[in-house]
This record gives sequence, structure tokens and C-alpha cells, in this order.
Amino acid sequence: MAERNVVIAAAQGLHARPAQLFVQAAARQPVPVSIRVGDGAPVPANSILGVLSLGARQGTEVTLAAEGDAAGPALDELAGLLARDLDAEQPA
Amino acid sequence: MRSVPDGAAGLLARDAIRLDAWAGGRDHAIRICGQVLVDTGAVAPAYIDAMLERERSISTYLGEGVAIPHGTSGGRDLIHRDALAVVRFPDGADWDGNPVTVCIAIAARGDGHMEILAELAQVLMDPDRARALREATEDEQVLALLTPDTETREEEEDSV
Repeated sequence: MAERNVVIAAAQGLHARPAQLFVQAAARQPVPVSIRVGDGAPVPANSILGVLSLGARQGTEVTLAAEGDAAGPALDELAGLLARDLDAEQPA
Repeated sequence: MRSVPDGAAGLLARDAIRLDAWAGGRDHAIRICGQVLVDTGAVAPAYIDAMLERERSISTYLGEGVAIPHGTSGGRDLIHRDALAVVRFPDGADWDGNPVTVCIAIAARGDGHMEILAELAQVLMDPDRARALREATEDEQVLALLTPDTETREEEEDSV
């Protein structure tokens, strides 16, 4: 099981567009990825309900986890997304 | 995570529950939801425009036949008090191709919004509760379903 810890960068937290972009990116990965906060129960990273249920704000540390050979690159890509404030980069 | 003292159900006034509404589509449904928030004194009428604007920039469809329309952050000044409205469309309302049976409209200033969302998502992740919400015919059922059920989460943890 590979894991990555990452701090949410999005000013509005992990909901709205940052959450949708993250969920879409997770769904594109070749392996299932889970996301959790602290010792909380992991939820599927490709589920908008699951991701919203975390209530992760800006500054919350989350843990991404996946298994298999493709886990490393998948986790790197998704962790990279969460570490950027996408809304600040893309004008609405 | 800080929690809302009374949970989502504590923000839902009984007169903000409509279980037998009909809408011709997404925007119509949002206007009906917004009007309930206006009628119950939670928001100014212009908040409805902020809800429509928000929906055009990003869909509030959550899955499980449920959408959570709410205003843009620019519309927060139009909120008199944090509140929810639940409007059920038994015939379904077309939401960009998804049939929506239940709208949970949110008016929340500041960070209250995130907590309410997280709580609603936890409820809807349980397919049985989501179905019960779609099929609810009594106000009491809606209020009970929006009260977090800690037992369910413990069972999930046991199975991991």
C-alpha cells in the first residue's frame, strides 16, 4: 500500500470545483485510490460524495492511498492537484 | 473539524420542507428552492440569482438523485441566517441530464457551508438513507434522515 500525505491548498477547501477536478482526475487513474483525513475511514477518491464527506478545508492534511505498480504515479498526480490552489490559477 | 451544534437538521425549519413540488427543469427547481428560503426569511430575494449563477459555473448535483443548490460566495451578504430548505420533486427534475428528486438548498455564511455539505454527503453515502430521502412523504422522515447516524459509520469502520 503506497500512501501520500498532502495539505489541501485550495482556499475554499476540498469542495466545489477543486473537489470536482480531483474526483475526475482520480477516476482517470488505472488503480483505485482512497482518501482519508487522519485516522478517519478512507473513502473512494473518485466519489464526489466521499470526498465532500471529509469536510477537508484549506490546510487540512489528507492521506491518499493505492495499491499496485501504478500506485506511485497515480498518487503523485493526485497529491500534486491537491497541493495547488486550482481556483487561484484558473480565472473563472 | 468543528461541527454545527444542531447538525444539518437543526438548520432545517419545518416550513422549509416541501415534499410535493414540480419543476420543469434545473433552473425552475432552483427558483422554487430559493423562494422557500426567501419565504422562510433566511435570505433576500436576490439570493436566488446567486444560486442560479453558482449553478451555471459549477453543477451542485451530488449523485443519488440529490442536488444541493446554493449561492455564490458573492451572495453571502444576502443571507439573513444560515438555513436549509428541502424540496422534493416526485416526478424528478432534469438536472443537466441527471434526474433530481430531492434538492437541499443551502444558505450559509462563512465556513458553515463546508460542514453542512460534509454532513449531507455522509448521509447520502448510505444508499438506504439516500433512497429513504428520495421517497420521503413526511416532514419527520426528512428531519430524521438529516440527523447524523453515528452507528452507521461505526459499522463501516468495522468492515474495513
